[in-house]
Amino acid sequence: MIPKMIDVKHLTKTFRQADHKRDLAGTLRQLVAPKYREIKAVEDVSFSLDRGEFVGYLGPNGAGKSTTIKMLTGLLVPSAGEVLVDGMIPWKQRTQYVARIGAVFGQRSSLWWDLPVIDSLELLQSLYKIPAQRFKSNLAEYRALLQLDEFLGSPVRSLSLGQRMRAELCAALLHDPKLLFLDEPTIGLDVVAKERIRRFVQHINRERETTIILTTHDLSDIERLCKRVIILDHGRILYDGLLQTLVERFEGEHLIRLTLVNSPQLIAFDGLRLVSSDGIQAVYAYDHHSLSGAEALRKLQEKYEVIDFELVRPSVEETIRRIYEEKLLLEPPPGS
Amino acid sequence: MRRTVILYFKLIGIQIRSQLEYRVSFLMDVVSTFILNFSYFVALALILERFGTVAGWTLGDLAFLAGLAEMGFGLMDLVFSGFDPDGFSQFVRLGKFDQMLLRPVNISLQVFGSRFLVRRLGRFVEGCVIFGIGAGLAHIQWTLGKVLYLPVVLLSIVAGMGALFVVGGTLIFWTVQPVVVVNIVTYGGNELMSYPITIYPRWIQGFFTYVIPLVFLNYLPGLYFLNKPGLLDFPPIFSFAAPFAAALMLFLAFQFWRFGLKHYQSTGT
Amino acid sequence: MRYIWQLVKNSFRMQATYRTALLAGLLTNLFFGFLRAAVMLALYQGQTSVNGMSIGTAVSYVAVSQGLIAFLTIFGYFDVMRSVYSGDVAADLIRPASLFTTWMGRDIGRSIVNLIVRGVLLMAIFSFFFDVVLPTSLLQWVWIGFSLLLAWGISFCWRFLVNLASFWTPDATGVGRMAFALSQLMCGFILPLRLLPDWFTHLANFTPFPSMMNSPVEIYLGILNGSQLFSAIFAQVLWLGLLYVVCRVVLAAGIKKLVIQGG
Repeated sequence: MIPKMIDVKHLTKTFRQADHKRDLAGTLRQLVAPKYREIKAVEDVSFSLDRGEFVGYLGPNGAGKSTTIKMLTGLLVPSAGEVLVDGMIPWKQRTQYVARIGAVFGQRSSLWWDLPVIDSLELLQSLYKIPAQRFKSNLAEYRALLQLDEFLGSPVRSLSLGQRMRAELCAALLHDPKLLFLDEPTIGLDVVAKERIRRFVQHINRERETTIILTTHDLSDIERLCKRVIILDHGRILYDGLLQTLVERFEGEHLIRLTLVNSPQLIAFDGLRLVSSDGIQAVYAYDHHSLSGAEALRKLQEKYEVIDFELVRPSVEETIRRIYEEKLLLEPPPGS
Repeated sequence: MRRTVILYFKLIGIQIRSQLEYRVSFLMDVVSTFILNFSYFVALALILERFGTVAGWTLGDLAFLAGLAEMGFGLMDLVFSGFDPDGFSQFVRLGKFDQMLLRPVNISLQVFGSRFLVRRLGRFVEGCVIFGIGAGLAHIQWTLGKVLYLPVVLLSIVAGMGALFVVGGTLIFWTVQPVVVVNIVTYGGNELMSYPITIYPRWIQGFFTYVIPLVFLNYLPGLYFLNKPGLLDFPPIFSFAAPFAAALMLFLAFQFWRFGLKHYQSTGT
Repeated sequence: MRYIWQLVKNSFRMQATYRTALLAGLLTNLFFGFLRAAVMLALYQGQTSVNGMSIGTAVSYVAVSQGLIAFLTIFGYFDVMRSVYSGDVAADLIRPASLFTTWMGRDIGRSIVNLIVRGVLLMAIFSFFFDVVLPTSLLQWVWIGFSLLLAWGISFCWRFLVNLASFWTPDATGVGRMAFALSQLMCGFILPLRLLPDWFTHLANFTPFPSMMNSPVEIYLGILNGSQLFSAIFAQVLWLGLLYVVCRVVLAAGIKKLVIQGG
């Protein structure tokens, strides 16, 4: 059996939150007789990742994503459970472990603000003890892939957000990590810059077989990059499986947008429901599990004279949002 | 070991370079730090025109003592800038400390290398000037022993006061915000060391002898350099206790630091 | 006017959320006060009175001046220059009051809270450890109050003026630190002016700084009486007026520069 890249078993993190006011009296009382509230940030989370997987780690704010990531990167020690990454326990032997992983946090910079990009990269070479030869070849490759040359000599503070993210990615990958954590890597970027970053991480994942865990609020990132997603809420895993399966199961109604000769009369018939209408424009919704697009159109044509039509599928983004908001995963899936 | 030293100099090299980029503001900072601290010495010199001595200590004696304390504190302020609770608090809040934990290098080394405020040289230079004035006015009878012991005392002050910065920085792991009371023992301790400790109320003397042993770092060695009899219960040999007191303080401080780090890794912020 | 009142109320309310910081500040001021009082006692060493100041008065001088640190912001003030550098000043410039008034409004609430917590409370605790002079006549308290008010005005004008340097140079922080070092020494905060050499005190009297701290403290201690008191108050009024006019002129020039050159 090939060993897993990541193996997480029953991971739990409980925070004890001091239950007091932030004034001096409260602080003193807390010193004498501490009172705590227990908060379970992560509860009984288990999953495993194979080498070279690219998985999306999703969940609404406060779901426990960043707590999990902190435990996987060794920043935080769990209250219970096991984590084995590439055969190592992250929070033990910190220095050896972090030499094997890379991380990019879109909201923070790991580069030196006042330093030219190239100097930051060279400093990372010393910090990670990267052999000169490997550093040279890696840098050459990333320079080409990420088009770093235009700003390699400029101080980090003068870079645009997109340029900075490219530099951050290069910085995180110079030491050939086996596992890469990406946290909101495309936040605040325009469409072109986002696409460049996505192409690059996809390339790294495929060519170098780097295992990647992506946390993001931008579901188009997920849709574009991850086959598999893990969804978390209230510290528990709600779903772990293929994105495709999830979408098929929970996708909302499909829509059919019509232009008719006469304005629509029927509110609902044969599994079709009028969502909105404006003169001769109408939108009908139907459940795509019981009705195909062609059938829906045929049924509509039986009632109306259709001039034009367009089938609309909900985006993955809408689907996932629906899952969060309507808590669809909290109920057992139909037929299980 | 060699790698550690090289890395340290690389890290502070970056700090120095980026500070020198803003040259005018850097020079202004050095000069203003100098003036700010020197004005206190000027005030002392002025008032002694009327009073002559502080508890029998002349301007020269006092300048020697205060200069030594200032040199040590200035140097410490520079070397231990990374642990300075105010800066370190920001570091933790901005997540930069987490970034350091993600690098495969000893964490204390990274904190030492994370901040190196060169403008604090102003305080060191000011200490040197006051010390020079003191050494001149106090007519020190220099012996080989004194010449050799002087740098030891200086480094002991750096290490001992640095230990207090490390403790103040470690508290950030619990409080996130800097604990201002720490300033009482750091900046207050430095102020206290600028005068013979015997002028202070008993409880202050006791606190800075047995709880935070600053008296061994400056006052007792000072007696040796100035050939003064001590008023405390310590025999003259205690003038040479400075490096031991400092080593003990620094050792305990880093034990506490390690404990704090463990706490941080089990709670985050 | 209502706008200013709003600012004062806001700054007052904000202080309440800084309770821990206030207490920490109090403790720090208190401890340094102990150290300074010890130095004062060691200086006097049995002498009862020096240049019209008795040992008890000198120790009280330390207590009062420590208690006024936060009220008069003796250690320096960089808020205005920070807002100039961050660009926040633009939001203040379109408000219905001048920049001077706006910042004064913001500072008043903070100062009042600090006068009570780090002033009155400090004096009260200090008096457990040392004999602190307490004025008894009502008239003297009136003069003290008046003089403190003037001192606060002078302090604010001075601080504001120093901050205005940020309209001209990107390095106003350094300028400010030097300026505040000067005012700390000359206002009698570090040591009472009366105990320094006469030539220095004369020199200081050519500046507004003694009116910022030394005068109100000496009025509190009852050192200044009769005509001396009047001339001290008169000097305060004069300096306040002068500094205010200078602030206005420099501010107008600064805004002009900011608007024309876009900072």
